[in-house]
Amino acid sequence: MSSSIGTECTDLKQKYDTCFNKWYSEKFLKGDTTPECEDLFKDYKACVMVALKEKQIDTLLADARKESPFPPPSSSSNSEA
Amino acid sequence: MRLFKTVHDFDYSWHTVSAAQWQKYPNPDCPHVQHVDVLDSSVDPETGVLRIERLISVNQKAPALILRAIGASSTQYVREVAIIDPKTKTMTLSSKNLTLSNILSCEESITYTQHPTIPEKTLFSHMIEDWSVQRFQQNALLGREAFSKVLERFVVLAEAKEEAATNASK
Repeated sequence: MSSSIGTECTDLKQKYDTCFNKWYSEKFLKGDTTPECEDLFKDYKACVMVALKEKQIDTLLADARKESPFPPPSSSSNSEA
Repeated sequence: MRLFKTVHDFDYSWHTVSAAQWQKYPNPDCPHVQHVDVLDSSVDPETGVLRIERLISVNQKAPALILRAIGASSTQYVREVAIIDPKTKTMTLSSKNLTLSNILSCEESITYTQHPTIPEKTLFSHMIEDWSVQRFQQNALLGREAFSKVLERFVVLAEAKEEAATNASK
């Protein structure tokens, strides 16, 4: 499993990845889109955002999102899967 | 601008290929990929389409002199957005460099779709658009051409002045 940009987030990331991979293959691809890993994603994402801010990538990211939304996220986004 | 496109088919179902996308790294064949992080993950409640935004940290091996000259560090970041539609069995991954975007723009697009006639196969299409320094080169060229004209005029004027001065002293 890949590591996170924030060393301290890798553990949280891998817990989330495990949950996501299982959900993706066993639920999502079979037609069940009910989110399952929300809590794990919330914790992991909070950690990553701190790391991004420290490395000053958060502003680059905000600009890139504005410039290329790449089909924007749905209104019910953030920690759904 | 450089454009590169390739198509291929894999002897694996679309389900397998799409799921494998999340387990590509770490990969000994891709030592430059340092980290992969998920920034956003959401399913559109109306369409059932999954959208995942990721940040990929890449170690760029370039001569230190070049890195210093362009003010870059050896770690670069790429933003990728994946759109997965399980109904149409289509997965599209679009990525673009996050860092060095003022110097170059490298956009990559990968699409995986179920083979139209053989469901055990997956079609793969890969496109890269590379606007490496083109704008800079164009502007530099324009600048050079414009300055050449200025120089020509300057030289003509200087010669004319000198001639006038020589004539006047006669």
